[in-house]
Amino acid sequence: MSMIEREVAWRIFASEYNNSTLEISGGSERSPSYVVTPLGAMVNRLYVVGVLTETENMGTPEEPMWRGRVSDPTGTYFINAGQYQPGVATTLASLEPPTFVAVVGKANIYKPDEETVLTSVRAELVKEVNEEQRDLWILEAGRSLKERLGAVEEALKMEEVSIDELVRIGYERKLAEGVKKALEHYRSIDTNRYWERLEDALGFALPEYEDRSELIRTEEDEEEDDDNIEELVLEVLDEMENEEEQTEDGFEYDDILEKVKEKEDITEEEFDEATRSLRKKGHVFEPALGCLKRIY
Amino acid sequence: MNKKEIAPHVEDITRALNGKLSKQEVEEQLQMYLEDYGVPLAEAKRAIVNKHEGNPGDLYTKVEKKIDDITGDERSLYFKARIVSLNEKEITANDEPKTIFYGIFGDDTGTIPFTIWDKSIMPSELSESDTVKISNSYANVWNDKPQVNVGERASIEIIDENEVPQFSSESIACNTKDIREGMSNLHVTGRVLSVEKKTVQTNSGEKDLFSGIIADESGKVQFSAWHDFDIKVDDVLKVKGGYVRSWRGIPQFNFGEDASVEKLSGDEMPSLDELKDVGCMTISELARRGGAVETIVDAVVIDVKAGSGLIFRCPECNRVVQSGSCRVHGRVEGEPDLRVKGILDDGTGALTVIINRELTEDILGYDLDKAIEKAKDRMDHGVIKDEIEDMLIAQPLRVKGNVTSDDYGLMMVASEIQQRSIDVKKEIKNLLDEVAI
Repeated sequence: MSMIEREVAWRIFASEYNNSTLEISGGSERSPSYVVTPLGAMVNRLYVVGVLTETENMGTPEEPMWRGRVSDPTGTYFINAGQYQPGVATTLASLEPPTFVAVVGKANIYKPDEETVLTSVRAELVKEVNEEQRDLWILEAGRSLKERLGAVEEALKMEEVSIDELVRIGYERKLAEGVKKALEHYRSIDTNRYWERLEDALGFALPEYEDRSELIRTEEDEEEDDDNIEELVLEVLDEMENEEEQTEDGFEYDDILEKVKEKEDITEEEFDEATRSLRKKGHVFEPALGCLKRIY
Repeated sequence: MNKKEIAPHVEDITRALNGKLSKQEVEEQLQMYLEDYGVPLAEAKRAIVNKHEGNPGDLYTKVEKKIDDITGDERSLYFKARIVSLNEKEITANDEPKTIFYGIFGDDTGTIPFTIWDKSIMPSELSESDTVKISNSYANVWNDKPQVNVGERASIEIIDENEVPQFSSESIACNTKDIREGMSNLHVTGRVLSVEKKTVQTNSGEKDLFSGIIADESGKVQFSAWHDFDIKVDDVLKVKGGYVRSWRGIPQFNFGEDASVEKLSGDEMPSLDELKDVGCMTISELARRGGAVETIVDAVVIDVKAGSGLIFRCPECNRVVQSGSCRVHGRVEGEPDLRVKGILDDGTGALTVIINRELTEDILGYDLDKAIEKAKDRMDHGVIKDEIEDMLIAQPLRVKGNVTSDDYGLMMVASEIQQRSIDVKKEIKNLLDEVAI
């Protein structure tokens, strides 16, 4: 006898989810497929609570294709809903951003070409919620991230990642399987960066913590480096706007990254961090999925 | 595979090769096949025996095993055991109804769950506490634990009970939360929350059964006492002996005459009222355990299924009527009812929750008659479901109830629902303090 378990709805921060590039399908037609995050969450379904910042109907009134952006303290979820989710489309049409929403949906990875990987959520349900419900979500997503970071760090200590060994020290088998898959696929996983993000995300829900964290961060040299990278990205965007033909949608991430790398040797993660920070500060925006444009 | 895990397989190979290789040599070779080449275990064993001109058939010949040595890959297994528990079950195999038997075997080294797949090989008088010799059964692994299958090729012979030593006398202390199917010779201390006397039919005639719920700080568990120990509500008991079997995933602690039941003063055990609120579990814990009685789940509803809200039931069979017609009784005048069928999810797992009329009325803030009126006004039964979705989805809830499991997963029948009161900022602060070292 084997039990059909309903797929759990993962609480997971956007930054981790959007860094996923691995999709595994269950083999047979009816078995579920998963987006595997860099920290080994095998995500089929998600539960996201954040701020709905934009909605847009990309389809027609008869055949709607709604897109929305939901932001959490670490980044932005891209959600979509077509004619097969009429309830979601109606809700999205009636909501006035910005507002807190809860979204339940299926994980989705789209690879338009060899290099580009776009993650999104196919919404099954959208509901307006309040700030307290959002804070609870941050707590749950934080606990979940901490658990995965622990598992990944244990796995990194092993000569060869053993699922049984991870289960023996107390991790769920499914997480252990995901961690093994993630470590095989993602060559380098910088857990420190995720610990920092976790700290930032939790601090985000605590107003009194913000001053403290700012204090700590300005003392760090890293912050200065980050500023330099941000300057560099803006510089490159300016150059591109001057040199290349301007498009409505701005420039693709990969093109920008390539140009930045010509000037200075930075990692993809540092680049992501810089663009995220620039978006937060309002220097750039994302006119289309995976594209960036300067705001003057 | 570590040394302990590999030892019984080294044993098998050494025996099949009849002294051609030393245990040391066999172990080295087996490790090489498994570790360096990643060959599956059964294939590796076969290959080593073949290579040294042994007969792979001898790998699985008559060798008597102790229960603790059964690893789960045995294709032909011989052992002697006492029957700790024996139950009958109706299943459907190839569209045919079939009777199988399941239960627990025990010897002095441990216990193991078993299934007897073929009634015809079973001695008709076989019953609990018999001692048996099982030949030609096989073992497999389910839920990470080995179990014995007694199929049509196997045989069962009742033998003298002195042929199997008594269970090891050390009983294992166990929190109620950690109680799992297949355990035996436990030692459980807890306060009795409820108890009732039932009379049940067993193979050996009518029997009195005292069943209820016993709790400690960790949680609750159902018990069945097959002997009158004069158990009363609020007693604090120390029970030694007994075994655990599951009903629809819910572990039940059984003990009979041979168990020792001691009544304690119970000063150290939380009070009756305090214990009513223990038993909070994550959904992944529940999935691993299979079920639980009067458990508490903190989660959110992420889906309200069709068939929720104002529904109509067949007056004959209580089934939900769809478009005025019952699946069994055809067109009927359905009787109105309220209920919710939803999905509860806590981030570790998901389960189906069933909420009855009374609780649904509490959620809505009005009763069935008002619901019917509302639906008539709007000429749509769906309005009640919409309202329920509005009230429940994404709300942090604390739900109490019994959780069972079957082929379709976990199901909880709610007995209490409340808004979860939680100081989120404080919890976040605590987590931050743990993270920011």
